[in-house]
This record gives sequence, structure tokens and C-alpha cells, in this order.
Amino acid sequence: MIISKKDIPGFLDKLISEYQVFAPVQEGSFTLFKPISSGTDVDLTAANTKLPAKEIFFPQSEKLFSYNVTEEGAKVEETLDEQKKVIFGVRPCDARSLVLLDNVFDNDKFQDPYYLTKRANTIMIGIGCNTPLSTCFCTSVNGSPFDTKGLDLLLVDTGDAYVVEVISDKGKALAEQASLAAAADADKIAAAKVKEAATVTCQVNIDGLKDKLDVNFYWPIWDKIHEKCLGCGACTYLCPTCHCFDIVDDAKDCNGCRVRNWDSCAFPIFTLHGSGHNPRTSNKERYRQRIMHKFKYFVDNFNEIACVGCGRCINNCPVNLDIRVVLEDVRGSEARLDS
Amino acid sequence: MSKLAEQIKGAAKKLLAEQKVNLVVGFTEGSLPLRGTPFFARTPEEADQLTWNLDCENNLANYLRKKPGKVAVVAKGCDVRSIVALIKENQLNRDNLYIIGVPCSGMIDRKKVTDLLGSQEVLAIEENGDTVVIKGSNSSVTAKIADLLHNSCGDCSYGNPVVYDELIGELLPKKEAADFNEIKEFEAKTTAERRAFMNSEFSKCIRCYACRNACPMCYCEECFVDCNQPEWIGKSAYNVEDNILFQVVRVFHLAGRCVDCGACERACPMGINLRLLTRKPVKDVKELFNAEAGVNLEDKPALATFTNDDSEAFLLKE
Amino acid sequence: MKNPYLPLPMKLVKNFTETEDKLIHTFTLQFLSEEDEKSFPYMPGQFAELCVFGKGEAPFGMASSPTEPGFLKFSIAKVGVVSTALHLMEEGNMVGVRGPLGNYYPVDELKGKNVVIIGGGFAFTTLRSLATYMLQPEHRGDYGDITVIYGARNPGLLLYKEELAAWDQNPNINLVTTIDSAVDGWNGRVGFIPSVTEEVAPSSENTYAIVCGPPVMIKFTIPVLEKLGFPANRIIMSLENRMKCGIGMCGRCNVGGKYVCKDGPVFTRAQLNELPGEY
Repeated sequence: MIISKKDIPGFLDKLISEYQVFAPVQEGSFTLFKPISSGTDVDLTAANTKLPAKEIFFPQSEKLFSYNVTEEGAKVEETLDEQKKVIFGVRPCDARSLVLLDNVFDNDKFQDPYYLTKRANTIMIGIGCNTPLSTCFCTSVNGSPFDTKGLDLLLVDTGDAYVVEVISDKGKALAEQASLAAAADADKIAAAKVKEAATVTCQVNIDGLKDKLDVNFYWPIWDKIHEKCLGCGACTYLCPTCHCFDIVDDAKDCNGCRVRNWDSCAFPIFTLHGSGHNPRTSNKERYRQRIMHKFKYFVDNFNEIACVGCGRCINNCPVNLDIRVVLEDVRGSEARLDS
Repeated sequence: MSKLAEQIKGAAKKLLAEQKVNLVVGFTEGSLPLRGTPFFARTPEEADQLTWNLDCENNLANYLRKKPGKVAVVAKGCDVRSIVALIKENQLNRDNLYIIGVPCSGMIDRKKVTDLLGSQEVLAIEENGDTVVIKGSNSSVTAKIADLLHNSCGDCSYGNPVVYDELIGELLPKKEAADFNEIKEFEAKTTAERRAFMNSEFSKCIRCYACRNACPMCYCEECFVDCNQPEWIGKSAYNVEDNILFQVVRVFHLAGRCVDCGACERACPMGINLRLLTRKPVKDVKELFNAEAGVNLEDKPALATFTNDDSEAFLLKE
Repeated sequence: MKNPYLPLPMKLVKNFTETEDKLIHTFTLQFLSEEDEKSFPYMPGQFAELCVFGKGEAPFGMASSPTEPGFLKFSIAKVGVVSTALHLMEEGNMVGVRGPLGNYYPVDELKGKNVVIIGGGFAFTTLRSLATYMLQPEHRGDYGDITVIYGARNPGLLLYKEELAAWDQNPNINLVTTIDSAVDGWNGRVGFIPSVTEEVAPSSENTYAIVCGPPVMIKFTIPVLEKLGFPANRIIMSLENRMKCGIGMCGRCNVGGKYVCKDGPVFTRAQLNELPGEY
């Protein structure tokens, strides 16, 4: 199927009447996913949004339930967002990150209804990356610029139009409902050419990385790697797969709500025990946790690397602590590396 | 620049070889165009990786606290002012510090560079005298370095390190103190307008605390935002009031201590205009007490002194 | 889909000052209905997130045993926001309870075995649950000798004093209590847990050791058990990392790839030997 670029606003306006539609919107010098009220609000010029699409399913602050406590008992009211949603213009890396996060929020013992309800009620319309950035390394971590994992429809930008690839039944139903025209053979060929031309120049060699991480927890490499890290939460908050959170009460007396907020393994109080004991005493342990979680623990638990190669942490770290360099250092590390 | 880099390497190698210090904190080439990155050299060989460029924007004073032994630091004007302020607050011991001072006429703001290229990605930058050539994926642009500097660098009149053990390069001609025009403009706005600005800026805040952690003066063992007994501030980012409260308290805590290096604003991933807030107390402290943070080792910090002549205008409401 | 974040309201029926220093209280919470009680089937060693509405929630191990129907018991030290608020609560107040969470002591694996329970300080809570469970007449026959070694800094800091007195008279359990330094009127042992363990622990043959206590006690007791011949897979510990969600999602309590809240808190020494020491 195919949709002309000039028809996009109309296509979105129709969706808006039925769904809550999120799309990249210009916000100062970058774009963010926002609910749009008009099809013309969308801005697909940026390579990617500043914050990943995870924030739609796992917002920075999310009300879990409200409560009202009286002498007789406590009335607890769940706040579930069951609105039907469409995410338009999500990049394949962000879409794939959600497939990874599904493992966490639907684990072997518990289901998170807040995340999963939104996931179940959302249609994901992705857009492939014709010109990946020099900091994109999706192909090194099992992704690609036109990867379809986590998507229902994938748009391929062929210049004046998007060739629409149907990935799932949900996507098919939506495309049919929107009466998208069939793509001509020439369009299909153009799309195939675009996909072939898109190259991810940045390669991060992860061969043997996991083997190293399996054994190097106590190696001296970690004494150096973290040294310039400021211990802020920028990389974790901007990361599409980081999912740590805190739970707090937002209340006056006994009436209020329980809220979950993004939290970060970079912060000292993240693991600080009530007794004052902290299993991760310094920046070294905390930075090691971030790398171990993504490239070892997540792999041990779910057989997937918890990194989609979007490059946000690379572009936004205040001190240029580049994860690509870190991984290379880890890969090259020796048990007796010393200086 | 490359000449300065060579001199820095030489100085660092010598210090390490002669074991006058056990660590030199400086910059090395980063992984992105126009990106110097903090670097820690412990051997003369490692010192070979040190560099100096228009992209050495981080404030290295951040890395000096609690470092054991004697440490040398490659420090531009603002780094040295932070170091001086930290010495006065007993956070650094001058005797354990060797300052390799580097006069600095400003560092390039990558955001300004990116804006010049529009939606193209910046792939390389070449320095050419007073100008730089910025290469994008489809085209390249030549721009004057002076037009690309961080705003904090434009406003800085302390490019020359105020204290040093060794100077690299030549001292720069004295620069006039900057006006505070943008602060005055902000002050002239109505309360409602200022409020609207704050609401709009701080709705972007994601509470990652990059501003706080990038600030050399934000070294509290327990920041008030992390304290939960009592809980001074809500932890949820959806409440713009709490985001503002966080920053306002931070800014007040920096009154008379902030050296206006701009590290907070540069660290912010969300592009919040933080210097508009941090510079207000800088201006006030200068006007009220004729004091600036970290400009010499002799003066006591503004908020640690009292004289009968101190202006008390802020105590009275007429 | 069951929402694991929703607390079950329970009524605080007793707020009892457990220790002489008044820092540990034991809270007895009553289920509001039989249905509520059925929704909370738990085992010794499991924990719950207790919430004081308006203050937040924090994880605590159940000190009561499933063999004691109708209520839950928690012994809680006053350290943080939630525990402080709990200490100030009045009988009749509502408390939220979320759980049961985590795994439990391997009561089935322990069948036919001797068990030595070693506890220090106020980490005795879930051990009390386990001992009570095993002492229940219908369960007692499942287990061999049961020894409890329990120590505190001074007699006033021992939890469950009345119960300890009863156990002391009970032929079904061998109780050894100890304090750090001698005081008048104390007839039990004097000495630290590791040395007392070395002295009084039963033979390691066909025996499991279950150890809970402050990090320093654990650190010195484990080598003693190893010396006595306890293999790593028969030394059982319960970890206490900081937790929030309790369901393996919020990411803070992990030790290596394992989450203390979801995969623990009960681990064997053998399992922990495979993991980094971040606890």
C-alpha cells in the first residue's frame, strides 16, 4: 500500500477522531512524542525524538491508583489508561525497545497492567530510517533501519510518498479502514531501493562481549571506565530500554495517589538500604550495573541485549562517555589490566 | 590550538615522569565531532592522549574533590574559578593541586553549530584561524568561531586563569565585564510573564539532575531533592512546580558561589535555559556586595562575610 | 489481569513495642474479610509491601506463620519514612498490604532433615515464622531436630521474649540464646553468634542451616558453617536489598541477573556464590 505525503495530515486527522494519536512534534530544538490534535502537527524531519517512545507506555511519572482512607477502610481506585492509541512515526529502534520491555513488564511471575494495557491498545506505525545518523548502531545489536519488530505498519519514505508495509493484523485492519491505495510495482521497487541504500555506518563489535562480562565483574577495567561519569540520569532517562522506577505517594494526609517515577541506577540512593548500607557504594559499581544489566543480565534472563543502538546516550551524555567506546574497552579488557 | 595541546602534553608528561603528581586531569579527543572529553592520565604514556581544542567545554573542577594524592589539572578560566571557590569552601587542598592554566577565549557551542546545518548531521569540523568549516552530510558551512561560542563564554571576562602553577600559551588581553542585559530584560517582565516562562521551560525538565551533577559547586553529600525525611520536594516530574522548586533552590544555594561556567546548561539534555536563572544571583551578588565567586584566593566568599556597609535593600519592602 | 500494585487494606489491631530500646515494634494486622485472607496465601520467608497511606510503602518479611490464621505480624525497626509512620500509628488505623511477595524457605526440601536456624538482631522475623511453621503439630513430624541459635546485643533487644521462654521449655525445639556481653540476670550464653554456632550447632550431617542477620554476623557465621561441614547448597540465607515494586520490574534489588524481590529473597549459599556480591 502507499500513501502520498500530502495525504498524511488527512490520514492522521481521521485517526485522531478515533484514537489518541502520538507523533513527533517540534519542541524547541528537538522533537518529542506528543498527543496531536491535528495531522499537520507532525514533524518527521528529525532522525529521532529526544525522548524515546517508551515514555508513552511508561511515562516519567504515572499515577497508579488513588486512595481515600477513612475509619471504616481504605478505598483504592485503580487508574488505568485504556484509551486506544496510535503511535505514528516511531523509529524501528524505539519500536523494538518495547518488544524488549515486554519481557520486563510481563515477567515469569507478574504482569504490569499499566504498561500492558497501553501496549495492547496501541497500534504502532513506524517509519524506516533512510539516513541513519553516525551515532546509530542498531545493526550491531540485532536491529536495522527498517526492522519491523514491534510495529504494525512500516512506512518507507520514497520521496513524495510512503510505501506502507503491513506487518500485523492490527496494522492491516487500520490500513484497510483508511482505504490506502495499493502500491504500484514501481513504488515497491523504489521502496526496496531506499531500504537497500540506507546504511548504518557505525558498527560496534560485540563479539565476545558477553563472555567478558560473564567473568570480569571484579576486574580492574571498571575502575577506569566510569571515571568521567558524573552520575546523572541523562543516559538512563533518554534510553529506550532503561526501565527502572521508584514508587512514591503524592498525598495530603491519607488521601492521594501512588505514583511511579523513572529512577536511575546512576543515583546513589537507588540502592541505599534503610540501614545505611549500600550494595553499590560508588560510581564504579553503579556504572558497571548499567553495562551489566544491558549486556549481561538482560541477556541471561531474556536472551536479548537491552540496547537498540539508538545513540541517544552518546549524543546526550554531558561528558561524552560513549557506550561504544565503553563496550570496546570491556571487550578488550584483561583480568590484569592495570595502570 | 595544536601548539597548546603539545605544550599541555609536555607539561603533563614532565609532572608524571618526575612524580610530582600522580594524576593529570585534562581532555582527550572525544568520540563525536567537536567533542573533547575528560581524560585521566596516570603515566607519561597516557599523557600523550591529552589534547586542547575548542571543544574542551567540561568544567574539570568537578573531578578534583576526594582524589587521593597530588593531582594536576588542565584548567581554563572557569575551571580555575571553580577550583578557587572550592578551595575557599575547604573542598580542595591547594597544596595537593597543580594547576596547568590555559587562557581560554571560549568554547564552541555544538547546538549553535547544529542549528547552522539545519537538519543535517554534523560530521566533522575543521578549525581555520578565526573560522571553522562545519561539514554536514550534504554540504558544509564556514562560520566565525566568535559567533559559535557558548553564551557563558561570551559573557566571561575571566578567560585568563586567576591562579595557576604553570601557564600554557599567552595571557589574553583583558576583556570588559559583560552586561547583564538578558537578566535585566527578564527582570523587567511582569510576574505573570516570568511565571509563564518558568512554566514553559521547566515543563521540559526530566529531573535527570545532569545540571546538578555537572556543577562543580553542587557537591552536597545529600542533595535536598534526595532527602526524604523530611521530604522537601515532590519527586514526580509531572509537577512543574516541583521542577521549578528544584532549580530555584539549587540556584539560591549557588548564590555567591556560582562562577557562571555554564556547565549546568550545557549538561541539560532538554535544552532548558538554566543560565537565565543562575546568572540572576551572579548579578545580584555583584551589585549588592561587589563580589564575584572564585576570582581570587584572598577574598572571603560573599556569603561568608559581613560588613556594616552591606546593602540591605532586600530586607526592606518600601 | 491482577494488578500487583494494589494494596489490600488491613486493620492494625496491635502496635506492640517489642524491644527495650523501643526501636522495634511488632504490628498485628487483621484481614478485613475471609476473602481478603484467602487472597493472601503465604509461606515462611515471604514478604509484603506495607503501606502507610500518604507516606509510601516499604518491604517487610512476615513474622507470623501461615499456621496462625486471621492476621499477619511484622516486626519493624524505625529507620525510614514508612517505618517511622508505622511506629506512630494507632490501633484501629488502616494499613495497606501488598503481597505475598518473593519465594520462601524450602519447607518441603527440609522435610526429613535436621534444621538449625541462626538469627541475629531483629533479622529474626521470618525465622520466627519458619520455626513456628515447623513446630505446628501437623508439621513437626516432617522434620528432624530443630535447633534455634538466636543472639542480640543485650537481652532487651531480643524479639518475641515470651515465645522464646515457651520454646525454652518445649522438647520439640532446642533453643540457644546469646547476648554480646554479660549483664546481670542473664542466664543464657554470652558471645557472638559465630562462636556460639561453632560450639552448639548440630552435626552438619543431614542438616540445613538457615541464617539471617546483619551483614557482619553473616560474614563471620558462614565460614563457621563451612568449617562444620555444611555444603553451600544446605546453607540458606535471606537477602534484604532495597526494593520498591517487589515484582521484579523496578530494577533496584538485583544481585547479578537475579531480583531479590522476585527470585529471592531466599537463596542458598551455593546460588549466591554464583552471583556478584552486591547485597
